[in-house]
Amino acid sequence: MFYPVNLRRENGRVVYEREGVRKILPECEIIVNPVEPVNLPKNVTRFLEVDFDPILIKPNSVETIYLKFPIEIGVFAKHGDKLAVVDVFSFEKPKYTLYGTPKNGVVCRWFKSEVYYEVPEVDPLRHGVMKLVIRNGGDWVEVGKVVLDCYGMKIYYSEFASCWAEMKVISKISAETSFVDRPIERGMKKAVEMWTTRRLIGRSFTMEWGLK
Amino acid sequence: MDHKKANRKIVYDGVGVEMNYEGALIFALVVALGVLVAKLVGIYVKRMLADRIPKNELNLILKILNVSILSVFALLGLPYVGVNPSGLIAAGGFAGLVVGFASRSVVANLVSGVFLMLERPIKIGDQVLVGDVAGFVEDIQILSTIIRTYDGLFVRIPNEKLFTSNIVNVVANPVRRFEYVVGISYKDDAGKAIEIIRRVIDEHPFALKNPEPQVFVNELGESSVNIVVRVWSPSSVWYNVKTELLWKIKVELEKAGIEIPFPQRVVWLRGERDGLGKDVPA
Repeated sequence: MFYPVNLRRENGRVVYEREGVRKILPECEIIVNPVEPVNLPKNVTRFLEVDFDPILIKPNSVETIYLKFPIEIGVFAKHGDKLAVVDVFSFEKPKYTLYGTPKNGVVCRWFKSEVYYEVPEVDPLRHGVMKLVIRNGGDWVEVGKVVLDCYGMKIYYSEFASCWAEMKVISKISAETSFVDRPIERGMKKAVEMWTTRRLIGRSFTMEWGLK
Repeated sequence: MDHKKANRKIVYDGVGVEMNYEGALIFALVVALGVLVAKLVGIYVKRMLADRIPKNELNLILKILNVSILSVFALLGLPYVGVNPSGLIAAGGFAGLVVGFASRSVVANLVSGVFLMLERPIKIGDQVLVGDVAGFVEDIQILSTIIRTYDGLFVRIPNEKLFTSNIVNVVANPVRRFEYVVGISYKDDAGKAIEIIRRVIDEHPFALKNPEPQVFVNELGESSVNIVVRVWSPSSVWYNVKTELLWKIKVELEKAGIEIPFPQRVVWLRGERDGLGKDVPA
């Protein structure tokens, strides 16, 4: 497997190199793990939109589906409990979109996924698995997209990255989404996220401009 | 002794206020303490909120805190110089009238500044166009607003002028659209050109998926078939996207052998005629 990162010792320091990036680090712990996909090529938003083939949800029911989502890979330097971002890169080409209107909408990292009913196989360097629990307390509703605030994203990983999200349907065109701080499978390790190093606070997001 | 005492007194006949050096010293100390407290609170708040809220909002909070703390300390110090703050209110009516006439434009700028801060049509860091000045908003002060033009010049606009001008805020909305007209020669396939342009747009991360880009033949021009390209992009990066995409479109069209022609005109000169008596080109 091809890894583009090179770490080597030079004059008692660690040299980090990746095509065009070269940084000199002190002796410290280096952490490499999947991070929320809103940093590349430049951080312009905190939101992720995953589109999928619309599914009909029965009244007063709970539906659990699995989706793929893009990941970026973060490299961190750790000393004690303090973290610093060394680099972020990705094997997946990013694409952005607008959710909502040009006046009030939000820019989102965009991804199109198929709908799965069990954990799908993924390319672990490009994609993670999102468990999405849709809670519908009202009438029939059609859902074809989920928009999430990535500054509250909780990523767990083992052989692949994963996250657990919930969508509470409010009406046919609105829903509240948030991440759940739990792994989708046992034995997964919690990833260090970019937003924690930036001390940013994530929260739930209300989808007001449609669910499909 | 009396002579010395008299020297220590300063009398302001205008408002009937009496103060002495000790009082002035205490007033100065209270104000200095206010400056110190405002500075310390400012540093603490800045450190606490620096990573959590946008820079422009932080600056506004810091300014409001600074002015509030200084005002409180100044009011606390006034009795030491013989000024009763409640008396100021009464004196303020007349004094305000005088000051108002004397400094009408200053007051107008001040009031405009307050309204600008409340209405907030622009924020620090925004890209704006005010009259013929275009650039980044560097600071919004109580009397004036500072713009750094794209070529790095410092421009101070009085708030009254800014408040009564048409302000174009380039980044007020999260996204914006830009447009090109790409002319291709009549002999080339416009359908293929549209396909190539769509692919180039699709490959750019910040050319938004939604609102969908538009690419269509808009005009059969004098020298070219004109294709209009409309792309939406996040406002914060739109200019980079605009410049990058245009060049990529040109390169990709040329790679596919599609010509972007120069304006051209075929000139026929009268004089020579063919066998049928018609003019022939020179």
